Amino acid sequence: MESLKQKAKELLEAGEIKAVLGYARGTSDTRRPHVAMSALEVDKLVADQACTTNLANLLMKHEIKHLGKLAVVASRPSTLRSLLQLTAEHQVADGAILALVPAEGGVKQLGTAQAFEEHLALVPQKKTEKDQALLDRLKAMPRAERFAFWQKEFSRCMKCYACRNSCPMCYCERCTMDCNRPQWVPVPSHAVGNQEYHLVRAMHLAGRCVECGECGRACPVGIPVHLLTFFAEDSVRAQFGQGGGASATIDNALSTFRPDDKETFIR
Amino acid sequence: MSEQFEPKITAFVCNWCTYAGADLTGTSRIKYQPNVRVLRVPCTGRIDFMLIMKAFERGADGVMISGCHPNDCHYTSGNYHARRRWMVFRDLMDFMGIDTERVTFSWVSAAEGAKWGALVNEVTDKIRALGPNTEQKQLVGLGVE
Amino acid sequence: MSRIGVFTCHCGENIAGTVDCPKVAELTRQIPGVVHSVDYKYMCSDPGQTLIKEAIKEHKLDGVVVAACSPRMHEPTFRKAAAEAGVNPYLCEMANLREHCSWVHEKNEATTQKAADLVRIMVEKVKHDTPLTPIKVPVTKTALVVGGGIAGIQTALDIANAGHQVVLVEKSPSIGGHMSQLSETFPTLDCSQCILTPRMVEAAQHPNIKLMTYSEVEKVDGFIGNFKVTVRKKAKKVDEKACTGCGLCVTKCPNKKIPDEFNEGLAFRPAIYVPFPQAVPNKPTIDTANCTYFKNGKCGVCSKVCPTGAIRYDQEDELITMDIGAIVMATGFKLMQTDKFPEYGYGKYKDVIDGMQFERLASASGPTAGVIKRPSDGKEPETVVFIACSGSRDRAKGVPYCSKICCMYTAKHTMLYKHKVHHGQAYVFYMDIRSAGKDYDEFVRRAIEEDEAKYIRGRVSRIYEEDGKLIVKGADTLMNGEPVEIKADMVVLATAVQSQDRSEDLAQTLHISYDKYGFFAEAHPKLRPVETNTAGIFLAGACQAPRDIPETVAQGSAAGAKVAALFSQDELTREPIVAVVNRQAPPLFSTCTGCFLCQTACPYQAIEQEEIKDRSGRVIKTVAKVNPGLCQGCGTCVAFCRTKAIDLAGFSNEQLFAELMTL
Repeated sequence: MESLKQKAKELLEAGEIKAVLGYARGTSDTRRPHVAMSALEVDKLVADQACTTNLANLLMKHEIKHLGKLAVVASRPSTLRSLLQLTAEHQVADGAILALVPAEGGVKQLGTAQAFEEHLALVPQKKTEKDQALLDRLKAMPRAERFAFWQKEFSRCMKCYACRNSCPMCYCERCTMDCNRPQWVPVPSHAVGNQEYHLVRAMHLAGRCVECGECGRACPVGIPVHLLTFFAEDSVRAQFGQGGGASATIDNALSTFRPDDKETFIR
Repeated sequence: MSEQFEPKITAFVCNWCTYAGADLTGTSRIKYQPNVRVLRVPCTGRIDFMLIMKAFERGADGVMISGCHPNDCHYTSGNYHARRRWMVFRDLMDFMGIDTERVTFSWVSAAEGAKWGALVNEVTDKIRALGPNTEQKQLVGLGVE
Repeated sequence: MSRIGVFTCHCGENIAGTVDCPKVAELTRQIPGVVHSVDYKYMCSDPGQTLIKEAIKEHKLDGVVVAACSPRMHEPTFRKAAAEAGVNPYLCEMANLREHCSWVHEKNEATTQKAADLVRIMVEKVKHDTPLTPIKVPVTKTALVVGGGIAGIQTALDIANAGHQVVLVEKSPSIGGHMSQLSETFPTLDCSQCILTPRMVEAAQHPNIKLMTYSEVEKVDGFIGNFKVTVRKKAKKVDEKACTGCGLCVTKCPNKKIPDEFNEGLAFRPAIYVPFPQAVPNKPTIDTANCTYFKNGKCGVCSKVCPTGAIRYDQEDELITMDIGAIVMATGFKLMQTDKFPEYGYGKYKDVIDGMQFERLASASGPTAGVIKRPSDGKEPETVVFIACSGSRDRAKGVPYCSKICCMYTAKHTMLYKHKVHHGQAYVFYMDIRSAGKDYDEFVRRAIEEDEAKYIRGRVSRIYEEDGKLIVKGADTLMNGEPVEIKADMVVLATAVQSQDRSEDLAQTLHISYDKYGFFAEAHPKLRPVETNTAGIFLAGACQAPRDIPETVAQGSAAGAKVAALFSQDELTREPIVAVVNRQAPPLFSTCTGCFLCQTACPYQAIEQEEIKDRSGRVIKTVAKVNPGLCQGCGTCVAFCRTKAIDLAGFSNEQLFAELMTL
């Protein structure tokens, strides 16, 4: 922790960066994102298990983007995965953002996509047991039962778009959901619109989702929406071998193809 | 209702292969059931998954999507891109519990007039046997009030 | 509110036989926006078209739906009619009541209902149609021909004679290609050099042809009429302008033991060389891989003897970028390599040679001056076995196709042999004799009947050496597979024709498609045989598939005619069905987020990056931009774009959505 602060102060002092994006103590025992632009603010930084937010999401926000060169605290691998995917999608220039990774006995400073990739190779991403269990349970269900499960879940959705807004990959300035010529997805939060919204969201993230699970955590009514994109990502990886957030250089699975892609359903 | 259920089937087909193939079904005077409504697009690559989704919202009991065989795309690779998209989309529909039995993907070339006729008949019979797409229709019913 | 006219065609009985056309007209009249709806016996007839045109004027129609046959049949007809009456042609759509309805369904209520639905779909589409104007693209009237064999030479000459500029690029130091290596040609047995050399000289001297030998295409950008091509002019290490072609350097070069490519390794050449006496240009090139000077800095004899000081050891490759309007690929073929035939001892026994080597042995300008001598000891072979289909039509060798030229040239070889070695005997092992073509079968008959070649239908299983003879073991399938054994002095394999090395790489450089054997793919196997799927790039000769000389020349001329037709216009007109990336008011500028995932989805490399700048030139945003010259309108990017920032004119999101909403 101290070495992280030390490093952040050094970088700020040397003028290498304009700000550090990290976590600070929130109300009660929560953690909230924190932008430190001075040594005083750096002292408020915390890094522990309770820091769950994927900070990469904030990097795409207008206010943060314009601060200048940033260092981001990447205590979660998904933050680095997000950075890789954002680099692949031309949203972040390679080398534009420093990642500070709290490590045993110090802090690792990573500056390039290649360094992110090398670091990620050491910390394989895994779904939580709870997520994996629910995913397995859903996959084992008869289809109609699965339909009922999701309809019941979606019935609580009020289209607050928290899942969208918390997602580092949902950086579009104008979302398709807000498109009204044509109005692809109805605005009100009714059954058909909700199903369509979640289907569109999952499809738009297929091959791009970095599996941070932020959308699921953001949902105020507790719909496991992250399982939809997790599933899409599993499907992409199983069929095409490459998923989101793995590399800044590999082409997106859904905007490329192989002539010998194997499917079983086309007549 | 004593009448036989007549399914509503929406088809998205590419201009160069399946649309031409369906034209050949016509010129060959091969008969098929009249339940299908064809929407013409330039290429299967143009078929947005949202169109399939909206077709169900509009009360389609079945959806057909068809284009050029691999390696025969008029635009060289539109169908390959489409295929990848369908592979994921179909998985995802199934994961959300949407009945993928109601969506038929096919490659029908400009020379396969007979295949198109047979396929439309097969799909129509299958959807008729499955019955109305109640699951999706109920969603709409709830939605529009 | 739209003012749409619906015109339902009976097509005689073709539609009206099963569809109640007056009812369709009546039903569709009730669609909001439709102000006029009639039915008529033949809409495509003159009176039918007049009826549409008059209705457009009388009812002030701003959109037209013709419910008749397939748009693939008559869309141009009705769009033209609409345009003549003052409606933008792209505001005229067709509902396919014939091929998709009346011809495939029974006469009943459901069929008429479907017909009305099909019209309804198109009415909604027309409501969302936007007037479009064909895209005009300027044309650079310079053609690039890649490959200086007979295909490339013919194409270049035809284009040049039509009055257009041509750049002819050849990778080796001389034009002429495989044809220049041949001794005589079938089915007339005229000397290959005699008919080819005048063409080579004509190409070199033509005022409209710029020859670039020892050069290769490095990069191709742009689109039909507007390609930017970069050619690598490899360093010959000889100043072409200063060199007079006296040949002193060639005679004085001390390193003369390099296998001669032109003579298929049957002779040697020096390190500074002219590939063959009739080469065009007839100026030497230094083979730096084998030159002593380039290996260890010593020697320099050529430089010392050159009377004009034309040797330039420091000459570097040059990259030359040109504006090109059309490209013709004429890169030819190669023969299957020796290592593919261990069972025939090809590569192991000196007297087992391939067809091209036999050509050199039979050629008056070859290493033996046209006397047939076998390579091992220079003896005149008294028995020669020719094996057709060596590799061709052989799945195990990866060539299931027929190489097409071997049957004919093998027959020619037996004749050339017999004419030179009167007491000799030629045997031919073959699978089938494929001699379709003018005077071709007669030619093969002559080889058999007059020149007494013995044709044995069967495969050769093995060749081995015994007492200075090559023992050829095979079977005669016309004699119930009876084993045949021939003691031969020389064996000639008609090896398979294959695509050039690295043809796939070249195809990718040009963005053209190729088949699994590396041959370039034509746009349509029957109707567009010399075009590729990439507009403005054409094919000639054996780079597309195995071809003989007459076919190659015909294809070269065909490609030349295609280019000349393209160059006959100052501007190209293209269908305006192209994708467009939207532009919006600030601060959004475009809903495009610049993820550029669409770039890899585009089959035509039509998506570029565009920087949106403020007044001071600062980049605000980088977004996608579709090059309308390259876009072919498939819409793959449109379906892929998450923000719907790209849309396809003629098949827009709004149009498809509206069509769907009628159902």
